Amino acid sequence: MNDVIDPLPATRPAGETPRHLAPGEVGLVAPRDFVHPKPFSFRSGQTLPAFTLRYETYGTLNTTRDNAVLICHALSGDHHAAGWHSPTDKKPGWWNNLIGPGKAVDTRRFFVVCANVLGGCQGSTGPSSLNPETGRAYGIQFPFVTIGDMVRAQKLLLDHLGVAELHTVIGGSMGGMLALRFATDFPHFTRRVLAMATTGRESAQAIAFNEVGRQAIMQDPAWNRGDYAKDAGPRVGLAIARMMAHITYVSDASMDRKFGRRKKDTANGDAYTFDVQFEVEGYLRHQGQSFINRFDANSYLYITRALDQFDLAQSHGSLEKAFAPVEADALIVGFTSDWLFPPEQNRQLALALLRAGKRASYAELSTDLGHDSFLLESEELYSLVRSFLERDQPYVFDYAI
Amino acid sequence: MSKLVEKRTVDMEIIGDWVEPNTRVLDLGCGPGVLLDYLVQTKKVSGVGVDLDLARITACVRRGLAAYQGDMTSFMRAFPDKHFDRVICSRTLHELGDPTAVIGEALRVGRALTVGFVNHGFWKNRVDMLIRGRKLRNPVYTTEWFESRPANPVTIADFEHFCAAQGIRIARRAHLAGNWHAPCRALPNLFAGYALYDLAR
Repeated sequence: MNDVIDPLPATRPAGETPRHLAPGEVGLVAPRDFVHPKPFSFRSGQTLPAFTLRYETYGTLNTTRDNAVLICHALSGDHHAAGWHSPTDKKPGWWNNLIGPGKAVDTRRFFVVCANVLGGCQGSTGPSSLNPETGRAYGIQFPFVTIGDMVRAQKLLLDHLGVAELHTVIGGSMGGMLALRFATDFPHFTRRVLAMATTGRESAQAIAFNEVGRQAIMQDPAWNRGDYAKDAGPRVGLAIARMMAHITYVSDASMDRKFGRRKKDTANGDAYTFDVQFEVEGYLRHQGQSFINRFDANSYLYITRALDQFDLAQSHGSLEKAFAPVEADALIVGFTSDWLFPPEQNRQLALALLRAGKRASYAELSTDLGHDSFLLESEELYSLVRSFLERDQPYVFDYAI
Repeated sequence: MSKLVEKRTVDMEIIGDWVEPNTRVLDLGCGPGVLLDYLVQTKKVSGVGVDLDLARITACVRRGLAAYQGDMTSFMRAFPDKHFDRVICSRTLHELGDPTAVIGEALRVGRALTVGFVNHGFWKNRVDMLIRGRKLRNPVYTTEWFESRPANPVTIADFEHFCAAQGIRIARRAHLAGNWHAPCRALPNLFAGYALYDLAR
């Protein structure tokens, strides 16, 4: 993790504002670690003697400590939601288009927090962390983690930061599950919940995809029952898992637009080879390769298992019962081309909230980008998010016209 | 203040009179939430609107209203009987694809159903059709036939016939004159510009 802020590159043309200093951007940011020094019990009954969450914040907590917006990341995401770690970073944080001064999640107004989930591998305690009892990585000795466990750990972080109540919790995909769990598990604490491209429980198809990913990892001999050195491990299996999962995040239409049947230049027109021929193949291989350099295979197993186990209806008897304690106003957003957590599953969440007598809205964006549409650069989405966060305070109507 | 906006507020005031305070209201075809907002502010209702259009849902969210983007019939099918105290269907009646199904569902999920619609049988409309022989074009009917969504222009007589045929009880009715303001007391199918009905099973 890049804690060091590099000096500006000398080659920058004079007079041009570097993007990380541009107005409307959160700029250079540095992650921090929250250490919870006490034992933490997981839903499974297993415990950790202590845990760490790596997190970032943007904006300032107000004096009433009620302007915090928690961002919850998806399966392969992390705490780096906005800004740049160094001026030489190729990319900003994963939701930089949404978060910043004057953006839909306005950091002039809100104190934005994003933490890597418990069980993750980007600085928070997870299977790749050292087990103090053995001096080696936990591997599959790490406690089974649930979405509820992740939420409880992040609540401890928010308490540590002095947040009195959450103005809003926002998340897409798995982040949406965390957001919903915040609303059900900490009803007095959570004022608004905005969940996008998510579900109350995965369909058989989504579980099936996760299982193929896990099998690719576990069938790789280098997995070695989860016991591998930090820079080794099931790199082939993890890359395949990522390649396959990536297909589920996009759509037929978006892949066709991006790659079609275009061939790589290196293909030499030779069709009788198993080397990369199509651009889409090269792209997926690149996705797989870059993933193994930043993600831990055991974390992938643990987090996909947490996704599969998440079932609000089953854990409470019904969705309506699960939502009964909710005090937050909810906005659920579905995306037409999302076939992993399709609009129907998002609609069901909003309908169940309404049946439970809660204030809930459902909006649907027409996109052809698939599940990852929630990361879309879309004025419609920005306007929706801003409207939910900054909506008009109740005012007295004057209809005496 | 345009004439049309004046007309809208009259409509809202009558519906507002019929809505009981602190009740649960469903607004079908809620648009940007003007009526629902009015009912929340004046009657403290807990309301939800349904509309097909994202921009209108966003407008509702901005007002702090609960709103659902989607088809109104499938929305209602997701709710148990009598979940809402009142369902409102204001100025969407003529655009419904399957009015019988929508009104049937509305009377199932709601204890009462308020319907408001423009009376297509208003005498000026009849004269206009008789003389011009073309689709109505005026501040109420604003579009050419080729620019509009399919519509079932409905008259007061048509609607009362429907209620009788379906065994729907008309609890209250309000007929407004051509200015949509003064009450219309005689021959409403000819002289009323706007009609409001309060229905129950």
